[in-house]
Order: sequence, then C-alpha cells, then structure tokens
Amino acid sequence: MGRLLRVDLTRGELWDEALNEEYARSYVGGSGLAARYLYDVLDAHTDPLGPDNPLLFLTGPLVGTSMTSAGRYSACARSPLTGIWGEANSGGFFGPELRYAGYDGVWFTGASDHPVLLSVVEGKAELHDASDLWGSDIYVTQDRVRDSLGEAKARVACIGLAGEHRVKLAGIANDHGRFAARTGMGAVMGSKNLKAIAVRGKGKVPLFAPDEFRIITNQVLALFKEDMPSKSLREFGTAGYVNVGHMFGDLPIRYFQLGEHAPADALSGVDMTEKFLRRNTACHKCIIACGRETRSPAYNDDKVDGPEYETIGALGSVLMIFDLEAVIHAGHLCNLYGMDTISLGVTIGLACELFERGLLTPADTGGLEIRYGDAEMVFRLIKLTARREGFGAVLAEGNAVLAERAGVPELSVTVNRLEVPMHDPRAYVGMAVTYALSPRGACHMEGNMYDLDMGQSNLEDVGLVMGNRHENSIEKGRMAARLQAWRNLYNSLTLCEFENPPVPLLVGAINAATGWNVTGDDLMNTGKRIVNIKRRLNFKLGMTRADDRLPELLLNPLENGGSAGIVPDMPTLLAGAYAEFGWNPETGRPPEDIPL
Amino acid sequence: MAIKFPSEEWLKEWENRLNTSETYAQAAADWEGDLVIVILPDENYTQTTYLYIGLQHGKASGACFLKSLDEKKAPFTSTAPFGTWRKVLEGRIDVIQAMFSNKIKLVGSMAAIQRQPKPTYELVKVAGTIETDWGS
Repeated sequence: MGRLLRVDLTRGELWDEALNEEYARSYVGGSGLAARYLYDVLDAHTDPLGPDNPLLFLTGPLVGTSMTSAGRYSACARSPLTGIWGEANSGGFFGPELRYAGYDGVWFTGASDHPVLLSVVEGKAELHDASDLWGSDIYVTQDRVRDSLGEAKARVACIGLAGEHRVKLAGIANDHGRFAARTGMGAVMGSKNLKAIAVRGKGKVPLFAPDEFRIITNQVLALFKEDMPSKSLREFGTAGYVNVGHMFGDLPIRYFQLGEHAPADALSGVDMTEKFLRRNTACHKCIIACGRETRSPAYNDDKVDGPEYETIGALGSVLMIFDLEAVIHAGHLCNLYGMDTISLGVTIGLACELFERGLLTPADTGGLEIRYGDAEMVFRLIKLTARREGFGAVLAEGNAVLAERAGVPELSVTVNRLEVPMHDPRAYVGMAVTYALSPRGACHMEGNMYDLDMGQSNLEDVGLVMGNRHENSIEKGRMAARLQAWRNLYNSLTLCEFENPPVPLLVGAINAATGWNVTGDDLMNTGKRIVNIKRRLNFKLGMTRADDRLPELLLNPLENGGSAGIVPDMPTLLAGAYAEFGWNPETGRPPEDIPL
Repeated sequence: MAIKFPSEEWLKEWENRLNTSETYAQAAADWEGDLVIVILPDENYTQTTYLYIGLQHGKASGACFLKSLDEKKAPFTSTAPFGTWRKVLEGRIDVIQAMFSNKIKLVGSMAAIQRQPKPTYELVKVAGTIETDWGS
C-alpha cells in the first residue's frame, strides 16, 4: 500500500493518506492516477490560479527501481494557460528521491499567505518559511534550500521568477535544469506561494518479485547499450535530430512557415557537441544520458543545462536565429527564470510574425521592435516576460492570448491553447492526431509519431508499427491513437519514451514490480483508459469535439523541403483515432458505459 | 531493360547516375566518405556480398565488388540483409529511418550522417531511379 502526503497550504497542515489502490490499479500512477483523483474534485468553476485548484506531484510503480529510464514524476492541476487538464513531466532524480523519502506523491491544496518550502526527509514532512528565497532563480533556490535544510543530497523541485509572477508559461525545475515545463504548472505553484519542495530519503521501493525484476531490468539495460538511437542520443542529445528533422521538413522554421532554410543546419546538435558541450547528463538509472551541459562563451555562460532539440527549434529556427551560442544563452535565461522554452519561443515567434504583418507595432509593445533573427530582443523579451514587465505581461499569457489581442486568432499555433512543439504535423501526419487529441493541448510527449515512423520502437506486440510518415489514412489515425494511449501509460508508470523495451520485457517488469498479472493488451487498454479519464475531465472543464483540431497555419502546405505539399487530412485521421478509442463520432465523447 | 542487383553493371550505372545528378552533386558537395555496402543473405539471397563506392565532394568513383571487408577500407560500412536493401532502394523504407531503426547497421561516423543527412538520402534516391532486376 503506497501513501500520499497531503498538504493544506492555507492551514499549514500536513497528513498522510493511503494511496487509493483501486485507482492505482486502474490508472497506474503519474499523470493517469492524478487525472483520476482530479476528476473527482475539479469542475468548470475551479480557478486554475486559485486555492481550490489542487496540485499533485505523483510518481509511478517503477519509479526509483533499477528499471532504466524510470526516474520521472508528473505535476498535474487545472492549467492556467489552457484552462483544461494540465500535466507536466520531468526526469532527473526528484521522483525516485520522493519515493525513497517515503511517499508516492504529494497533493497540495489551498494557498499559503507567505512563501513556503516543503521538506520531506526520511518520511518526515515539514513546511518552512521561504520568504528569503522569493525572487531567487532556480539554481540559487536549489542550492539554498539544500543549505538551509543541511541536506546536501536533497533533490529539489522549485519555481523561478516566472512562477512567482504567475506567468502562464512557467514550469517547475528540478535537479538543476530539468523541467516539468508545460501547461504552466510553475504558475500554479506560484499561486500557492510554494517556492520549492525538497526530498531526501534512504528508503527502498518495494518490489513484488525482486530477483525476477533484476533479471528483466538487466536484460532491458543490455538492449539499450548499443542500439543506434541510444548511441545517437548519448553522443548528440536530442539536438542530434536537428539536421535530420530539417531534411524531413519536421523542424519548424520562421513560425512554422518555411519547410527548408539552409542556415537552419547551423543549429546542428553535432556542431553543438563538438563546440559547446561540457558533458552529458543522465537521469536516474539511465544509460543513454541524452542530457546536455553546454557553455556559451560569447555570452559568458560557463554552465548551461541543455539546450534540447525542442529549445533549439523554439528559440532558434522558429525565430530565425541560427547562432547556436545565442540559442544556448536564450535557453539558459528561460532556465534561470523557470519558463517553458517551447511555449515562450512560439509566443515570441507569433510576435515576430505580427510585426512582419504590421499587426503589432512599437505602440503596442512599449517601443520594442520585435523582428525575426534578433537574438538580443529575444533575451530582453525573456526577462520582461518572467517579471511580467511591459510587453512581457502580454507574452506571459501565451500565444493564443496574443493572437486574440491582435485580432488574428487564426495565426495562433496552439492546440487547446498550448503552443505546438517542434515536430511539424505536415512532416509526420500522425502528429496531427497526437496534437489534436492530446489531453493537455499540443504536446509531442503524448505520442511521438516521428519516432515510430522513423522505426524507433519494439512495440509491434501492441500494434505499434512503423509506417509512411505522409500517409493520410484511417489506419494512421488508429496508429497515432494507440501510440497516444501507450505514451499516456508511460507518463503514468512513469517512464522515459527514449527507452522502449519490447512489450514482453515491460510486461514482465511491471508484473515483477507490482504483483499484477497484466498482459501487453491489458497495458494498451490501460493507456486508453488513462486517455479517456483525461478526456472526460476535459469535457467536464468545457472542452468539446470542436476543440479536436489543428491550428490553421499547420493546415497550409509548406512550399519547400522534405514535406512540401503535404497537409494532414484531419477528418480521415480523426475518424481512425475516434474508432480506435471507441469515441462517439458526433460528440467525441468516450462511451458512457465504460466505468471510471 | 532492368539491371540485376547486385552486379558490376548495376554498380557502374549507379556511379554514372550519381556523377550526372546535379541534385546529388549539390547535396554532397561537402561529403567525404567512401562507402562499403554489405549485403547479408536472406530467403531470397544466398551469399554475403561486399560492394564499394568512392564518394568525395559530390562525385562517385571506383564502384566495384570486394572479396571481403579487408580488401578496401572505407570510413562507412552499412550492413543489412538483401531484402532490406531492396526495400530501401525501392523507396519502401527511408534510408535514414532504416539506420535509426537498426534495420541497416552503420559502422562509421554518426556525426557525419547526422550533420549531413542529405548526401545519404540522395545517394539512395539516385539508386532508386535504376530499373532493377531483383532476381525474384
């Protein structure tokens, strides 16, 4: 029986609560379990930045074990950015350490009247005044929290200035510069005056069949030592995909309007490795070590976390900035202040586009000329946004609000108000389904069709098979739906999607860890159940079938590059996905007769 | 008329087409990396075969059969069963996707391929224009 730490920040009260085993058996952990819990308590009137919006940090049954890549956690609440289901996931060591400290998750309610820090050390939880930490960047905060607790090895999750200012693009940082970045969970933390959570423990994660589990996890480990995708990620990080993505028309350029642009190759992850890499970094028990620690001498940055592929796209090619050092520096600023690089990059990208079209002028921006290719302006906008100063207060609301203010909502590149990541659905049409149906809005972590259609999976046993990336078909829609279910399962276990053990090994590991007796098909059905609970919750929060859509800009064919002329056929793709999930084609609702 | 794969004639045709392709010349202008292709036996092919092609700055040269990997050293060696090569050359599997999914095993600098994926892509695209007799 697992346990949750409940924290009422209004009253300053803490208590333990047994994990709801029935929920956990059906929704596993992580974001799936959080969705099941929050389904009971959220409604359309819940203010995302009010004390009634609960914030859950949850791990999963494999977190903290010897299973490679099982070092993640989910932070979930109603999103202030999108108004629907909010979910952010992060790797590192915070999730495992929380379990070693004695808890499977933490459930915050209420809001403190002053800044606080929660510590959980060896099963003992306490709230501390954190007024002196308010205003600190994420690195200073993490160091000072460890110092103040006298726990040098504590793992800390925290917010920066952006979260404090309730910037809707604010994320939660942990383990230096790892981020649960998306959907504004950092703003929810800020609204509760919760600056940081520190965890430390030496407890062990219980396993049902430890010997069997060890054998299986060793087999999994051996698989990922030498395979090509793992080697590539180890050597170049996710940024190693920049040039390949560019060739396929997958890398968004100039606010998703160019399919190819030769200078974009200068953002190469290979070049970054050769010129600016300090070292690789790895999450708990990960043998890939895709994390990057870089430097940017031109900007006097000696130690920077990242950038990953997503950051290079969002703060580089989207903004027509092709200087790697400038992109590294921009990423570093976002890290310091604690902001989602995808959402901020795509929001600044829209500002650039509005300027090009004359829909935004210096009169609207406090005198700022926001143009493509102007790195110094991007640095300035990042700083303004984090503090909600000047035009930064507009950017802090995200891309959709900026487009609406300019009177051109059709130029917003968001799905359900979450900014589209750096995989163009015209390059992999399955991503159109992933984005349109993602429970948290446009998100690549909800179904990485670019990996599946690149052949990077061992998942044929659950019907996930590589296909033609441009194929608009019912089957492609079904495939994307199955992958979405599988990734929702991953975000509930919670595992990293870069390591995909063959289904029998994953099934074996789960059964040996939990004592459950599941099959691959059971796991796929569990993934679908998790998608369904999030969808039901979203309908409860006001979403409708009409929200299952792609932004208009992404339905225009690109004129050049590896995906020129391709447009996702949304009716066909969505029909396939609806059929796979069993949703009503008219209303988009999951069947009412499926019990929660 | 279809040309048998693999054969000296097919290799020479490939070399000629590469040397007359402006697209390849442009894509591979900075490319330096001769290639050995290893064809492994499968149900439709009975032996292991080694093919060599020189690839420097958008030009191809010296395409030939090798007796073994020791006969000529090249910075890149790509190995796959006959059936996989057929799918790649017929465009049914993308060559970059095949490498990333371990369907083609690459020995050589991943950095070079990832920094410049287009030369590899065009190399295969040109091969795909040859009317090929696959022997079955």
